[in-house]
Amino acid sequence: MSNAQGRSKRLAWKTVIAAVASAAMLLVAGCSGSSGSTSANTNQKVQLTFSQWWAPEMPAGALQNLIDQFQSQNANISVKLISAPFASLQTQTISEAASGTLPDVVGLDGAWVNPLYKQGALLNLTDAMKSANYDPKDLASQVGYNGSTYMIPVVNFVYPLFTNDAILAKAGITTPPTTWSEFTADAKKISQSQAGAKGWVVPLGTTNPNGVQNDILSWAWASGGSMLKDGKPALTNNPDVAGAVDLVKDLVQSNAVLAGANGLQETDKVENFINGRVGMMIDSLAHVSTITKGNPNLKFSVSAQPTKDGYSGKPGILTASWGIGVSAKSQHPAEAWKLVQFLMSQSANSKLSTLANGFPGNTASKPDFSGADPHFQQAFGIYQKSKPVNEFTGLPAANQLMTDFLNEFQKTAAGQEPTSTMLSNVQSQWQQQF
Amino acid sequence: MSSFSSSAVRRRVTARIGLYIGLTLGAVFAGFPVLWMLSSSFKANSNIFAYPPKLFDSSFSLAPYMAVLSNPVEIGYFVNSYIIALSVTAVTLLVALITGYVFSRYEFPLKRIINVVIIGVQAVPPITLLIPFFGIMVGLKLYNTYQGLIITYVVFTLPYAVIMMTAYFDSLPKELDEAAKVDGASSQSILWRILVPVSVPGMVSVGLYTFMISWNEYLFALTLTQTDDRRTVPVGIQLLMGQNNYLWNEVMAMSILGSIPVLVLFLIFQRYFIGGLAAGAVKS
Amino acid sequence: MTTSLVKPGRDQRPASVPDRHHHRPIRQRLEPYLLISPTVLLILALMVVPIVIVIVYSLMDNVVTDPSPKFVGAANYLAILTKPAFWAAAGNTLIFTVGSVAAHMVIGVLFALMLNSKTMARVPRAIFRAIYILPWIFTASVVAVLWRLLLDPSGVINYLLTSVGVLHEAVPWLATEATALLAVTVINIWSGYPFFMISLLAGLQGVPSDLYEAAKMDGAGPFRRFVSVTLPGLKPILYSMALLDMLWTTQQFTLIWATTGGGPLGRTEMLSTFTYKLAFNSYEFSMASTSAVIVLAASLVVAIFYVRRQRKEAQR
Repeated sequence: MSNAQGRSKRLAWKTVIAAVASAAMLLVAGCSGSSGSTSANTNQKVQLTFSQWWAPEMPAGALQNLIDQFQSQNANISVKLISAPFASLQTQTISEAASGTLPDVVGLDGAWVNPLYKQGALLNLTDAMKSANYDPKDLASQVGYNGSTYMIPVVNFVYPLFTNDAILAKAGITTPPTTWSEFTADAKKISQSQAGAKGWVVPLGTTNPNGVQNDILSWAWASGGSMLKDGKPALTNNPDVAGAVDLVKDLVQSNAVLAGANGLQETDKVENFINGRVGMMIDSLAHVSTITKGNPNLKFSVSAQPTKDGYSGKPGILTASWGIGVSAKSQHPAEAWKLVQFLMSQSANSKLSTLANGFPGNTASKPDFSGADPHFQQAFGIYQKSKPVNEFTGLPAANQLMTDFLNEFQKTAAGQEPTSTMLSNVQSQWQQQF
Repeated sequence: MSSFSSSAVRRRVTARIGLYIGLTLGAVFAGFPVLWMLSSSFKANSNIFAYPPKLFDSSFSLAPYMAVLSNPVEIGYFVNSYIIALSVTAVTLLVALITGYVFSRYEFPLKRIINVVIIGVQAVPPITLLIPFFGIMVGLKLYNTYQGLIITYVVFTLPYAVIMMTAYFDSLPKELDEAAKVDGASSQSILWRILVPVSVPGMVSVGLYTFMISWNEYLFALTLTQTDDRRTVPVGIQLLMGQNNYLWNEVMAMSILGSIPVLVLFLIFQRYFIGGLAAGAVKS
Repeated sequence: MTTSLVKPGRDQRPASVPDRHHHRPIRQRLEPYLLISPTVLLILALMVVPIVIVIVYSLMDNVVTDPSPKFVGAANYLAILTKPAFWAAAGNTLIFTVGSVAAHMVIGVLFALMLNSKTMARVPRAIFRAIYILPWIFTASVVAVLWRLLLDPSGVINYLLTSVGVLHEAVPWLATEATALLAVTVINIWSGYPFFMISLLAGLQGVPSDLYEAAKMDGAGPFRRFVSVTLPGLKPILYSMALLDMLWTTQQFTLIWATTGGGPLGRTEMLSTFTYKLAFNSYEFSMASTSAVIVLAASLVVAIFYVRRQRKEAQR
């Protein structure tokens, strides 16, 4: 037998032996491997699982410290923190709910509470509060259906207007705009006066359609407008929504926004702002630390989102939240509620929101501004003067609603249909979900 | 057949130059994005989006790599990925060799239907299989275990592996079998002693494919694992891309780090393509 | 005629076998089934069962989100097949698939030939092999992030093209209606060709060198040798790779989702993203299952075609 054949024969045998050996080893090893379980290990200790995407957004170990505090206050409960990647959170949570493996306590986004509720996957928190004799008076808001709560916002993130001082100054603008017409004029002025910068950035990418919520409809909400009437879609004959659409459309069509809007995602907003390619953006306050870390020399201001010309009522401010809920299939609902209660308690909630660069979901809590970036305190001032609003929270198939709106908006921005047609198309698509 | 005339030498030199030009162009196509990934892994996060883009800039630092390598959780992701990918490769190869042999050398009723089913099951969009599959895994108590993922990936890679091994065995003439049978060999020893050694290039390519699929798969790794001690590298990378906090340079660093051992594995096994192992042994 | 899958140890049929099988002992007839039983069992339990569940879902009204779904028969199929968005997605998928597969084949053959060339020393060959296989080692979400970075208006590709003068202004490749599908296809080609290159390299080893010698003696130049010796030798592999790649490319989801999400204006909407949106945006799992079954049915046609071809090849 030739050398080559002998060598390959030995390889073949080696492979086969390795295969059989590893297969056997694995079967043995895997059997003793651990697996995430939500059932109690001993009679004394109750083991809870808490899945969230919050830990990576805060300093390392910060959330674990809070959990340790909870565990020291409740000796019979141990909490296992599970981190989930934010991008696939929706897929993962819905899948877990469908197969009954939802963790005991679960971090929720307002956009997907509705399907979880419909699946019967969430515990009725109003009942849990009653059994625990908990008075919800300090909760800033609750999300629920049919008079019962299913999700409680823990930390609120507001979306003010960020403006790059240097870019605005170069275009001759001294203060951030406060009305729609000022904003439009400023954005166009910036884009025309500077080669490497545009006035505004609007992410219209389809992967995560929340540009609709953050950058289009927020204009209507900031001026007291609404896209719903009695909880049902009301987009046609709605001057606030039409005005918002026209505002954004105008800026896109006159090239006052960053190029490639149809492919941009929320992260692109921040990265381009940090790199001085965009003069203004409406973005989550939580990104202040991203900006200061990324470009410590960048001087920027935070102000309220401009309102419609002539609007004098209380301005709205777009607020997204980190919500929390309990699995309906949890084997320890009482203990799970204790964890929720802890996270909503005045001191814990205060700490949590400060760490996360957000505002507390407990009305009695105040974020700790000492040593923090001054922009936070400014934004808190704006927050206290405005009405927090996000009409997509708790809506059925919120992501699909946003996608429908986005697809039609892309069409109208490309000049394929007028705003009125766009809104009536979206209206009829939305009605299929309600 | 080599001639030493000047025109033949010139032709050969031109051919060589042409070859190297082609190779370089191909290398740019294949390697430039990876080079960019490497360069991004050394930059500060916001510099990755700076304009004009630079290959290496003043923020060059090994910090992202240190962050990944000093984090035991992330090292754990690497370990898990390797355990799973190697196990899947071993099991799939083993099963596929036997199955391919049967399909190639035997005739039996239902062969055709089974063949169609094996190929056809690859056609279902994995995203729709997710929920029923998940339910089955939970029911079998394989949620958040190594075996759960291993069996999943074996099932995903078996169809192709079986097809490939069948095709390879088909290309080996039945005379080899006949000769061995005459000498009194059983079907199993025909497979292991005669056919397998000659199918090494096919085995290596199936092995590589299986390894890569298990290595890179994200959706089912995400769904079938819950805790960090069972998670794999693709999930780990996704965890670095948070809602408000994006660690691009660590994402790139983790990718590069994960790819190095895979490259090394490939370089070791690619020798078995060389030398026309199959060519000589089969046709003579 | 035996029509049931005989499981080991159970059914011991009597010795009266049909004529087309010669009188072989039971054990020998059971042997093939025994040997392939692991494969069959695994695939049955973990592929066929979920697929059956998906088919059942497609016949019901709104599973998963509705605790008690009703049977609706073919209503979902009618609804999906009359949706223009479905056909648009199907069209995009076809273009994407055909383009990707064709390019994979061409690049795969080219690179495999180059890497197989005898005029290269060992070390450069190993280096180039390593470089050429790089796109395959990275997971789809990283590839997506990387290419979004590269193709950004302020990214390096636009920078190079505008500096050299090919473009006079940066093009947002993934966000422009006209170029999005092309861009996504190129990314898919980049990340998928190494597999074909490897398989073709292995296949090239199987083409006997004496055929090349014979062709050279007949005076065939390199191109002629390629067409008359290499291509025919690679034909079975090329054929099976092409069919398999078609099946696999229709599943491609993560890459498209992370780069364009099916936009802009639906230009890169594939059947995979269409199905995903039905399942996880609208929570219409029944409709998503319906879409999946339609894709499965179309692919089964391809699969049957493939098996038939294999049979013809084996019988030659």
